[in-house]
Amino acid sequence: MDKTAQKVWNQAHQQANSGRRTVTIDPITRLEGHGKIEIFLNDQGNVDRAYLQIPELRGFEVFSQGRPAEDMPQITSRICGVCPTAHHMAAAKALDDLYGVKCHPVGRKIRELVYNAFMLEDHALHVYVLGGPDFIVGPDAPKEMRNIVGVIGKVGLDVGKRVISMRRRIREIINYAGGKVIHPVMGLPGGVAKGISASELPKFKEIAKDGLEFAKFTLQVFHDIVLRNDAYVKLITSDTFTHKTYYMGLVDKNNKVNFYDGDVRVVTPEGKEYAKFPIQKYLEHISEHVEPWSYIKFPFLKKVGWNGFVEGGSSGVYAVAPMARLNAADGMATPEAQKAYEEYFKVLGGKPVHHTLANHWARVVEMLQAAERIVELVNDPELTGKEFRTIPTKTPKIGVGVVEAPRGTLIHQYETDENGLIRRANLIVATLNNSARIAMSVDKAAKGLIKGGKVDDGLLNMVEMAFRAYDPCFGCATHTLPGEMPMIVTLRDMKGGVIREIRR
Amino acid sequence: MKKFQKTLVLALGNDILGDDGVAFHAARILSAEFPGSVDVMETGEAGLPLLDFLEPYTKALILDAAATGKCPAGTILRWDRDDFRRCVAPSQHAAGLPHILELAERLGMAFPGELQVVCMEVRDPTVFRETLTAEAEQALPAMVNMAREILTGWGCQD
Repeated sequence: MDKTAQKVWNQAHQQANSGRRTVTIDPITRLEGHGKIEIFLNDQGNVDRAYLQIPELRGFEVFSQGRPAEDMPQITSRICGVCPTAHHMAAAKALDDLYGVKCHPVGRKIRELVYNAFMLEDHALHVYVLGGPDFIVGPDAPKEMRNIVGVIGKVGLDVGKRVISMRRRIREIINYAGGKVIHPVMGLPGGVAKGISASELPKFKEIAKDGLEFAKFTLQVFHDIVLRNDAYVKLITSDTFTHKTYYMGLVDKNNKVNFYDGDVRVVTPEGKEYAKFPIQKYLEHISEHVEPWSYIKFPFLKKVGWNGFVEGGSSGVYAVAPMARLNAADGMATPEAQKAYEEYFKVLGGKPVHHTLANHWARVVEMLQAAERIVELVNDPELTGKEFRTIPTKTPKIGVGVVEAPRGTLIHQYETDENGLIRRANLIVATLNNSARIAMSVDKAAKGLIKGGKVDDGLLNMVEMAFRAYDPCFGCATHTLPGEMPMIVTLRDMKGGVIREIRR
Repeated sequence: MKKFQKTLVLALGNDILGDDGVAFHAARILSAEFPGSVDVMETGEAGLPLLDFLEPYTKALILDAAATGKCPAGTILRWDRDDFRRCVAPSQHAAGLPHILELAERLGMAFPGELQVVCMEVRDPTVFRETLTAEAEQALPAMVNMAREILTGWGCQD
């Protein structure tokens, strides 16, 4: 954003919010990148409105122009150190479409293997490290304990070792087939760059078997620690963390959840199919709304229309991510995951589930499908085929690719000249797809949990919990940043003066 | 786990976000200067995956870019192991170094006994570009000098 635009934006923001007290939560811990939640309090100390602000990465479209389209899987996988495989795979699929070539069946299986390994690893990381601590350690636990170290304290050292070891072993599959764990180099239009040697299969089969056991074990941990705790279940199903919106996710030809490929299916807040379309038609169904207080756009269902940050069938707000995927599908594609899926809906009162925090449980159900799919693929005799790429022969023009990233539907669209050089690149990332609902969740949680100006660590964490359940990713630079940046909460009076500051 | 005798230089960042990739630039200079005694790695990851890189080494130097907003761009910052115990660090998608350190200790994992972090303060690591700003370019030699001193102090031969 240039300086003039920033000045105008800041002025508009200031005008819109003058006469309010402000509580700022910054940074949101354990997320990718910096989000910033601003909570405006009225004279009674109750929440008038809570906003989520996200700094965006700028200039990607210009950065891409003139580059060979084949570079996009490597470039886009660098956007985020957390989900490079999702970007890489969406880009590879966009290249298939761009060059009008169908991915070679062996290449497709190798891509699927890598992708499901990534989903399993990434979901596990979220369950145990990012969002899980809120439940495993407890939503009221002190801030300094709500992290992986607190999780280990709760579940024991052996489980901790198992998490670390399993993650590492799953990454071996990604590393081998993808070329590298970070910034994989496998995806090419029409297939992959490298096949899988039969000599690797025994090791992969062992990892796959252990991966499935680990997913089952994780479901058990979730049962033991979360579902047996009435307070947690009550929290999951509480109105504070509930929104009745549309849901979107990829489905296979049987309307079962698929992470790698399929049609986009949208269901209504009542769970009825609203739309089902190939990703090439996404612009017919999705549009973007702009708000003055946020740099990011808010996608909505075009044919329903934008009616503000409201729930229900007359509002085009929709959700993606694990809970949305389970809602948008008729079931899981693998047997153990299907059992877990049925139990999930039974316990949570039927389809669709509208409870934001149920994303954590849905994530575990998806871990099972990813693990089972890995087992299926490493036992597929075609996986080690010597041919794994169909060479493209057509002139490129426009290509769209989609995958279900751990955080939801991820879309890449490229337009090129006849030499395959990028003219335009557009990405709709999962967190963007979820942005309107995330904003609603933050607002509702703040209103439900902050009363009469009373703000403490536990309450603020509840607001953050609403946010973290989506596993949002802001495609930010990946820093360890060992500087001292505690969370700062500032309460301001109507004139913007600081009443008090809470640091943690 | 078998320990490597070499020292690790681990550069963190993103080479398509301009100054966020400054650690990679420093690491490549150091790689040429210490060809035999240092392993240089570059990664865009943070948090838990860093354990995979760090675990086999007894000495590790981490290079990174930071945007603390507390000092001018181009300032070179340095932390050691003990500093981590005193700070609350935000992190992406996982634990930051302090948590990783504590986690490794609790799990009885072998983490480098010698650990130093050298960061350059950068102004805006959110714009897509492949080159460094003039500020970062100018400060790069100071970052390399600090890293070189640490490596030489650890007995690495150039």
